[in-house]
Amino acid sequence: MELRAYIARRLLLLIPVLFGVTVFIFAITMFFSPTERATLYVTSPQGMRDLPSIIEQYGLDRPFFVQYGTWLNQVFHGNLGWSNVVSMPVGRAIFHYLPATLELAIFATPIIILTGIFFGSRAAAHKDKPVDHATRVVAILGWSLPTFWLGLLLMMIFYGYFRGLLPPGRLSSAMEIMVTSGDFIRYTRINTLDAILNLNGPVLLDALRHLILPVITISTVNVAFIMRLMRSSMLESLGKGYILTARAKGVQEKLVISKHARRNALIPVITVSGYLFAALAGGAVITETIFSFKGMGWWASQSALRLDISSVLGFALFMAVMFVLVNLVVDILYTRVDPRVRLGGGVQ
Amino acid sequence: MKDLIKIRDLAVRFYTYEGIVYAIDDLDLEIRQGETLGIVGETGSGKTMTALAILRLIPYPGKIESGSILFFDKSIDQELELLKLRDDRMRSIRGNRISMVFQEPGAALNPVYTIGDQISEVFLLHRRRELAQRAKQRLDSLLSDGNGLAAGVKRPFWGWQRRIYDKIAKESHAFEPRLLGRLPLFRRLLWRMGYEAKLLTVDMLKDVEIPDAARVAVQYPHQLSGGMKQRAVIAMALACSPELLIADEPTTSLDVTIQAQMLELFRRIKVDKGASILFITHNLGVASEVCDRVAVMYAGRLCEVAPVGEMFVHPLHPYTKALLNAVPMPGKKLETIPGVLADALNPPPGCRFHPRCPSAMPICGQERAKLKEVSKDHMVACHLY
Amino acid sequence: MLRQIVRNPLSLAGVIIIFIFITLAIFAPLIAPVPEGHRDPYLIPHDGYSITPQPPSEEHIFGTTQGQYDIFYGCIWGARTAFRVAFLVMAITILIGLVLGSLSGYFGGKIDEVIMRITDVFLAFPALILAMAIVASIGPSINTVIIALCVVWWPSYARLIRGDILALREEDYVEASRGLGASSARVILRHVLPNAIYPTLIMASLDIGAVVLSAAALSFLGLGAPEGYADWGQMTEFARNWIVGPQNDPLKYWYAVITPGVFILFFVLGWNLLGDAFRDIFDPRLARR
Repeated sequence: MELRAYIARRLLLLIPVLFGVTVFIFAITMFFSPTERATLYVTSPQGMRDLPSIIEQYGLDRPFFVQYGTWLNQVFHGNLGWSNVVSMPVGRAIFHYLPATLELAIFATPIIILTGIFFGSRAAAHKDKPVDHATRVVAILGWSLPTFWLGLLLMMIFYGYFRGLLPPGRLSSAMEIMVTSGDFIRYTRINTLDAILNLNGPVLLDALRHLILPVITISTVNVAFIMRLMRSSMLESLGKGYILTARAKGVQEKLVISKHARRNALIPVITVSGYLFAALAGGAVITETIFSFKGMGWWASQSALRLDISSVLGFALFMAVMFVLVNLVVDILYTRVDPRVRLGGGVQ
Repeated sequence: MKDLIKIRDLAVRFYTYEGIVYAIDDLDLEIRQGETLGIVGETGSGKTMTALAILRLIPYPGKIESGSILFFDKSIDQELELLKLRDDRMRSIRGNRISMVFQEPGAALNPVYTIGDQISEVFLLHRRRELAQRAKQRLDSLLSDGNGLAAGVKRPFWGWQRRIYDKIAKESHAFEPRLLGRLPLFRRLLWRMGYEAKLLTVDMLKDVEIPDAARVAVQYPHQLSGGMKQRAVIAMALACSPELLIADEPTTSLDVTIQAQMLELFRRIKVDKGASILFITHNLGVASEVCDRVAVMYAGRLCEVAPVGEMFVHPLHPYTKALLNAVPMPGKKLETIPGVLADALNPPPGCRFHPRCPSAMPICGQERAKLKEVSKDHMVACHLY
Repeated sequence: MLRQIVRNPLSLAGVIIIFIFITLAIFAPLIAPVPEGHRDPYLIPHDGYSITPQPPSEEHIFGTTQGQYDIFYGCIWGARTAFRVAFLVMAITILIGLVLGSLSGYFGGKIDEVIMRITDVFLAFPALILAMAIVASIGPSINTVIIALCVVWWPSYARLIRGDILALREEDYVEASRGLGASSARVILRHVLPNAIYPTLIMASLDIGAVVLSAAALSFLGLGAPEGYADWGQMTEFARNWIVGPQNDPLKYWYAVITPGVFILFFVLGWNLLGDAFRDIFDPRLARR
């Protein structure tokens, strides 16, 4: 019950944050001309030709807060404006491009977290020994790689040298046809998930094949964070008094590390994992661009490039919501892992 | 009666970035069966290290350089060399035959597990056969008394469980139960071990006078007060009725009223359990309350060992005298010991205390004094004697 | 401290790498001489206009990339560009962060609230996209990249410094100094900042790598240096079309793809190794016994 109240409270916090973000970005758009700003209210290609009347209609020469109010009103009616870049309403653009990014995030995040935790705690348990040094070097190396270069390299090898073994894009053309045909129901537009739900093996394999390189690229670069964090968190945990107590009780070293130290060390890692997912959900611009994996990152970057204001605003809104939601999930996870948070402390 | 613990020529060194620290140097000490021995000294005197050495828990970068620690095992009437014991044998002694209570109860308890869980852990580690035996007995009564449909359905499961627990009761790490314990679905079969452990835990908590023990067992450390936490830690240490309980400054972090209660608890433990206690403290008053004999350490070396009454009435070593003198008393001028604590990296040659000793003689700076019995059961390491 | 850096093989490697790059950057005109009559040394000289990259040869040690730009020249002078971008961005960012962070941390209250909300907004937005938007609206060039990166990066430093100052504000020597009548500015400058500097330095040394990577990414996307500029990211962008060669020799143009990337990698690696070592040295929790 108190958990529900907690969630409700946190969702309510969404509002001021959204308010702040949108006001801020809206303020920036004020630097643009009314014509450009008019695109925020357009819902169809015809509308694009009608800009002067739109400027009239929505009073784009009126004071700031009046405009902001009008726009906000629009948003509540589900109209986020027109995305010039992809020629569709912003709302639909998000709906259209989100699945690709989610697919990447869903595959990459567990890989990053699990790998990071495994090697991080290994490194901590064997501090200053070869494992520790090797882990650190690999982590720093991964973090130092330019994402785009890694992507190009991987493509060069696995697409060029190995003749199309792991091609770019989300699906090969044959599968693309299959997926858009009537036989295949796109529940989520996340290809792997849909393939499973449709019990369609070939599509699943094809989708996975296209996912391998982008996921590897993203994971390699990001794993360092988690590894280092887990390592320092574990080291801190291993230095605590309860570890000595556990040893004094006669607990085997293996259990001391896994049962006593790790549970405590995971706590900060959870927070970071949440932010990691949020960041990935916002789209890995470079990876998506290189591998022609058209997701949110690709859309947002194209919008930024072409100064498509409504798209950028819509994207900002999306990111803000994502941020708060992720924070919420992380907080809830926190309560499950750390009883001090769950039960609110206090001496009886 | 044989000494429970016999320490001879113990040397513990720390290989740090800055140099070698001689934490314990040439220590000879005995802990007798059933006695409460106090080790008194300032910070850095090596008292905690002595305790950790007995349990072989000296942290990196420390190392037990040389020496021997003999533990008299009553069950086999043999002395065991603790420093040469195999790892798993040593583990079976820790928490079981020799256990330790640390200074900060808050730090000693793992914040993400309940008190009950942490104490039960000790039972699950060292008392598997007993737990299994109890579970088996419970199942026996279920099987014989059980009537009705529900019982009828569960009967085969009970039988199966009983067989498994029987195996554990005979051999604590029998193969079949261990295998089952690792398989996800079959793990549940062993739940009774945890259950019995819980029961024993609550009993233990009652033993250390924690009110409302059953409720406390499911609470987390942060929900308890300092005194309660310390009692819980003591419960954890006493769970398997150890022959030696090491208490490292158990009362230092508690406030005075709780301290008094704690000391009372220790006195009761002495009487009820008949265990030996190694009581480490820097507080002479506390030592005088609980200990039978007291040992005084300085800079990693033993200065004086004597029965408590004798020590306080006839202290022999200059350091001991200075310590007793330094106890603040109303009406008396506050005495301090001049000089600074011996540098751990570069200790003074000969007797470690000689730079600060009012009775220092030339020989004190050259060679250290050996431990000598000056009067009955009263040993000193000082050139004065 | 220096001793600790040298003793650790990883950080030593980092220092050596950075040293090599510094040498390359300083002696660029000697190592890769500017051809006669060339106006801007940062524009890579190109030998002809053919699009196809040419493999390494006597004339062009690393080969040429699309448009016949000499890869060797580009990479060496690219070191200069990298240092320039990195230092400018770091300096400006730390300065802004210092000012705003100090104000925020020391005075608290309304100022703090406002500044924090602003940083929140900046931090919630994916950095690269924000940078792209800024560069796009002003117009791509190296300087725009620098500006954009500063805008994106300052919030983290403001936050960091604010946090440090909040912690230090409560320290006794600060109170003592105020008790003696020191003005706020004096207190900040002489007492608080010198102690807050260390975490900032650690973060900065770790961030230099990230800055260079971001600048390279922006150039790669066409938003940074103009065509033919001596910038590693830009050179990689050139190579983008050449990752797959003809059927019988798919790796034919490897030199165009790999070389600039290797330079970026090692540059960033050097700073990361150093920064990592700094962190280990200055982090009290991980201090050696």
